Amino acid sequence: MSREAQLFKLCRGSFGQVRSIHRASTSQAAAVQAKEKPVKNKVFSIYRWNPDKSDQKPYMQEYNVDLNACGPMVLDALIKIKNEIDPTLTFRRSCREGICGSCAMNIGGVNTLACISKIDTSGKSTKIYPLPHMYVVKDLVPDMNNFYNQYKSIEPWLQRKDDTVKKNTEYLQSVEDRQKLDGLYECILCACCSTSCPSYWWNGDKYLGPAVLMQAYRWIIDSRDEATTKRLDKMRDPFSAFRCHTIMNCTRTCPKGLNPGRAIAEIKKLLGGVAKKEEPHLKAVA
Amino acid sequence: MSLIFRLAGQRCNSQFLKNSNGLISCIRPVTLKATNVSPPSKEGHDERNMKLKRPQSPHLTIYAPQLTSLLSISHRATGIVLSGYAIGLGLGAIVLPESIPHYIDCLHEMGPAAVSFVKFSLSFPMAYHFWNGIRHLIWDTGKMLTIPQVYTTGYIMLAVTFATAGFLTVM
Repeated sequence: MSREAQLFKLCRGSFGQVRSIHRASTSQAAAVQAKEKPVKNKVFSIYRWNPDKSDQKPYMQEYNVDLNACGPMVLDALIKIKNEIDPTLTFRRSCREGICGSCAMNIGGVNTLACISKIDTSGKSTKIYPLPHMYVVKDLVPDMNNFYNQYKSIEPWLQRKDDTVKKNTEYLQSVEDRQKLDGLYECILCACCSTSCPSYWWNGDKYLGPAVLMQAYRWIIDSRDEATTKRLDKMRDPFSAFRCHTIMNCTRTCPKGLNPGRAIAEIKKLLGGVAKKEEPHLKAVA
Repeated sequence: MSLIFRLAGQRCNSQFLKNSNGLISCIRPVTLKATNVSPPSKEGHDERNMKLKRPQSPHLTIYAPQLTSLLSISHRATGIVLSGYAIGLGLGAIVLPESIPHYIDCLHEMGPAAVSFVKFSLSFPMAYHFWNGIRHLIWDTGKMLTIPQVYTTGYIMLAVTFATAGFLTVM
């Protein structure tokens, strides 16, 4: 195909796209349909605190949202409130599809991601709080520094004794060894689990919390990692891992369906000497 | 596509250069001043937040009651009650003027309801702590830790606990 023909084909595609977007945004049909639907009001009761008025106590503010003119998820309602009712309402959000972890908050008493949690249409009001037992920066935005520093403290990267040798090939791992990381590496560090854990509420300064411990476990059992003993020795104290009392709020609340509770149980087994890390099936360096 | 961009870029560029006034008005004098770098503060997480008067978000009072946390807190509560019994009854045996059979007779005089109540309040914490303790031991081996399993074992444990406590009460 000649260059001109290629160029033409490309342009035609993009023009078509632009036209279809344009058509969708001005669609009369959609607007009429929205008008025909009856108003279905839903009350959201949202935690508010403004750092500029730091003397004022935090309070709950109620917002009425017409569910028939709103998307299905709690994040849609929050964005609608911010756009149309109260632009001062502050919250974190980014991907709107449960992969960034920004919109983690306490909705209806349970920690979850606002973007993948459906609005409860039962008619009762929904209460929205920031993640529990965190310092509040503003409204629904908590200070995550402690959480991130704890994550940093477990050195979440591959550590090898042959690090100094310059290498041009990848470290090898068998399929079985790789499978051990499934259910661990998917964590998006939204902190829903850690902030649902009563132990983390009372000892958040010294106890690492489910999210960070699960990531610690992810590196401990990685067949390519050689810092296992160092990693475990760092946790050999009454607080880092052993403040976990198997309450299991973490696993119950995880919006990604992961199981931090089990990961901590495995760490405890390794720390107690009940279990040992398996030898790698495949030598990392061939 | 790149052809389009190149053409568009050339056009814009040539226009921009022709209009020399526009170019000059874009430039503005800037002076740079060197200052010492302030070291990062060694303030703790709590200190910093308290200085900023940030409130703590609500926790225990707003978190939904769930089987997971309720069974956990009950395990702790029954543990405390059991130690209370051990200490209380032990001290009682030393301090109280009469012997234990005397107090049991007093209790019997109060009627069968009182006897059952006392028996149940002695046996229930024991049964609960025992059976939930076994659940914890199973967990410590890394088993039964998925949420459906946690809930199933939780309900089974409750049923067995009430059965045990009931049996000890009527015994």
